[in-house]
Amino acid sequence: MPFGFLVGRASVAAFLGLAVLGGCAGDQGKTIRVACAGPMTGEQAKQGKDMENGAILAVDEWNAKGGVLGKKIELLVYDDAQDPKQANAVANKMFTQGVVAVDGHYNSSCTIPASEVYNQRHMVCLTPASTNPQVTDRGYPTIFRVCGRDDQQGKAGAEYVVKHMPRARVAVLDDKTTYGQGLAQEFLKHYESLSGQKVVFTGVIVKDDQDFTPTLTTMKSYNPDIVYFGGLYPQGGLIMKQMRQLGLKAAFMSGDGTYDPEFIRIAGAENAEGAYLTFIPDQEKIPAAQRVVAAYKKRFGELGPYSLYSYEAINIALQGMAKAGTTDGLKVAQAIHTMTFDTVFGPMQFDQKGDVLVSPYVMWQVRGGKLVQLPPDS
Amino acid sequence: MIPGGQFFQQIVNGLTVGAVYALIALGYTMVYGIIELINFAHGEIYMIGAYIGTIAAALLLGAGLPAAAAIPLAIVAAAAITGLYGLSAERIAYRPLRKAGRLAPLISALGLSIFLQQYVLLAQGARDKVFPEEITSSGFTLGPVRVAFVQVLILGVAALLMVALQAFVRRTRMGRAMRCAAQDPVMASLVGVPVDRVIALTFIIGSALAAVAGVLVVMYYGKVNYLAGYTAGLKAFTAAVLGGIGNIPGAMVGGLFLGVVESLAAGYIGGEYKDVVAFVMLVVVLIVRPQGLLGVRVPDKI
Repeated sequence: MPFGFLVGRASVAAFLGLAVLGGCAGDQGKTIRVACAGPMTGEQAKQGKDMENGAILAVDEWNAKGGVLGKKIELLVYDDAQDPKQANAVANKMFTQGVVAVDGHYNSSCTIPASEVYNQRHMVCLTPASTNPQVTDRGYPTIFRVCGRDDQQGKAGAEYVVKHMPRARVAVLDDKTTYGQGLAQEFLKHYESLSGQKVVFTGVIVKDDQDFTPTLTTMKSYNPDIVYFGGLYPQGGLIMKQMRQLGLKAAFMSGDGTYDPEFIRIAGAENAEGAYLTFIPDQEKIPAAQRVVAAYKKRFGELGPYSLYSYEAINIALQGMAKAGTTDGLKVAQAIHTMTFDTVFGPMQFDQKGDVLVSPYVMWQVRGGKLVQLPPDS
Repeated sequence: MIPGGQFFQQIVNGLTVGAVYALIALGYTMVYGIIELINFAHGEIYMIGAYIGTIAAALLLGAGLPAAAAIPLAIVAAAAITGLYGLSAERIAYRPLRKAGRLAPLISALGLSIFLQQYVLLAQGARDKVFPEEITSSGFTLGPVRVAFVQVLILGVAALLMVALQAFVRRTRMGRAMRCAAQDPVMASLVGVPVDRVIALTFIIGSALAAVAGVLVVMYYGKVNYLAGYTAGLKAFTAAVLGGIGNIPGAMVGGLFLGVVESLAAGYIGGEYKDVVAFVMLVVVLIVRPQGLLGVRVPDKI
C-alpha cells in the first residue's frame, strides 16, 4: 500500500530528527483512519513489518467488503523505533491526524506510555504483542490485548520445569527491559511458589551488548541445569551460542520474544537444539486460520509470529465500530467488551481489564533446527 | 569449578573483547594523531567491514572453498574493500573541510556516520546477518578455562597486526612520513612529505584494521546488524582516550584494559554495571592522567 509506505518513510525521517510535515489531512472525514504502530526501523524492524503486513491484509479485506460504517478504511503506519519517548510522540501525532483505533505497539515499554495518550484521547488500542501485565492492569477502558500476558506465560514455563525437571537447578536471566524483566520475574515467582525451591542464580544482561560471556561465566560457576531467559531473540540466540561456547550444557527456556526462526539462525542450529520456548499453538495448524495464513503467505511470504495478532487487532477494532455504529472510542470499547469475536485463534472474548479470557500458551522446542510444538501432555 | 577458574575465564573473555576494541581504537587514534579529528564514522566503517567479510565468506564458502581458505580470504577482502571506504570517506567528507576549523569536520563525521548506517540499512535490510560458518563452539579446555578457537584467532590476529603496524610506523619511510605529519603537517609538507597521501593512507590503514576487527567479531558472535557500529565505535573511542588519544601503543593498552575491566565488572558486580564501571574507570584515569595511560602531554592538542 503506497500510502502506508510513505508514512513509514516519514516516520523514519522523524526518527532521524528531520523535519516532518503533518500534511495529508485532506481526506479526514471521508475515510476512517486506523493505525499500525510499532518498531518499523531499527533492530526490530522485522517485527514491525510483520505487524504492518497483518494490518494491511485486514484493512484490504474490509475495504473489499465496502469498509465500515459506510466509509473506506485508511491504514496509517507509525514508527515508534522501539523507543518509549517516540511511542508517546507518535500516539499524540495519531490523535492530531484523526486516527480512531490503533493496532500497536510491539514492545510493552512502548505500549505502556503510548496508552496513556490513547486513554486520555479515548482512542481504542489493541496491542498484538505487548505481554507485560502493566499494559492492561491500569484498567484503562479503551486498552485491549489480543495476545497473552507474561504472568500466564511465566507460569506456563514454571509449570513445565516443575513437572518435567523437578530436581533441576534453575538460573534466571533478563535483559532489563519492561518485557524481559517482567517475564523473568513472573517465571521466578511461579517457579519458587510451585516448587518450593529457590533459583540458584539471577543475572542481568544489557540488550545493546553482544558479549554476555562475563555474566554467563559467573552463572556457569553455579552449575545450573536450566536457564530461563526473559528477553528477545537476538540476545537469546547469542546467549545460547555463548553458553555452549563456554561449555555450559544447561537447558534453555524463554518466552514469546525469543520465538522467531532468527533465534535458531543466530544461535546456530546445533547450539539452539533443545531450547524450550513458550508460545501460542502453531498458527499454521489451526483449521480456522488456514484461509488467512494462505492469503498472508501469498502476499507477504513467511508468516511472522505476531502477524495474525495484528490482523485480528484490526478486525476486532472494526467489528467493534460496526457494532457500536460510531467511531467514538469509549462506545467502541464498550462494544468490544460485550462481544465474542470469531478469530483465527478461535472464539475470543475480553475480560474487564481488556485481556483475553483464555491463556493461550503452549510449550515449543527446537528440534532438528526447527521450532516444534510439544504435545500438551508431554 | 574452583573460583580461580572463573576469574581466569573472565580475563580470557575480557582480553578477546579488548583486542577487538584495540583494533578499532587504532583507527581513531591514528587519525586523531595526524589531523586532530575524532572520526565519528569509524564505528560504521567497522560495521561495513563486518558486512563485507560476512558476504565474502558466504560467497567463497558457497563456491566450495574450505573454511580454512575462505575465512582468511574473506578477512583480506574485507580489509581491502573497507580500506577503499575509508579512502572515499576522507576524500568526500574530510579533505574538503581540512582548512575549515575544528567543528565542521566533526559535524561532517557525524553526518557520514548516519549516512553509512542508513545506507547499510537500505542496501542490506534490518535483519541480522549471520556468519555462514559455525566455528565458535569448537575449542579446548585449559585447566578450568574454556577457550574457543576463534578467541585464539582474534588474539593472534590482533597481536600480529599491532606488531606489524608498530613496525610500519617505526621502521618504514612512509611510517616516518606519518610521524612527521603528526608532529607538524605544515613543516612536513615544506620539507617534501606528501601530507595528503599520508593522511589518505592513515584512513586506509585505520579502516582496514577496523574491518579485520569487524570480521573477527562477526565470527565470534556470529551476527552483525547495521547498528553494530555505534556501540563498538563508542567503546573503541573510549579505549583510545583511555590509552592516550594519538598514541598507537596507548590504543592497544587502552583496548585491552577496557575489555578486561568490563568483563570483570559484568562478571563480579552484574551485567548492568559493566558500562558504569568502565566509564567511571575512564573518568578516574582522566582525572589522574588527563593525557591517558600512555599519552604524552601536549597542551595545545586537547
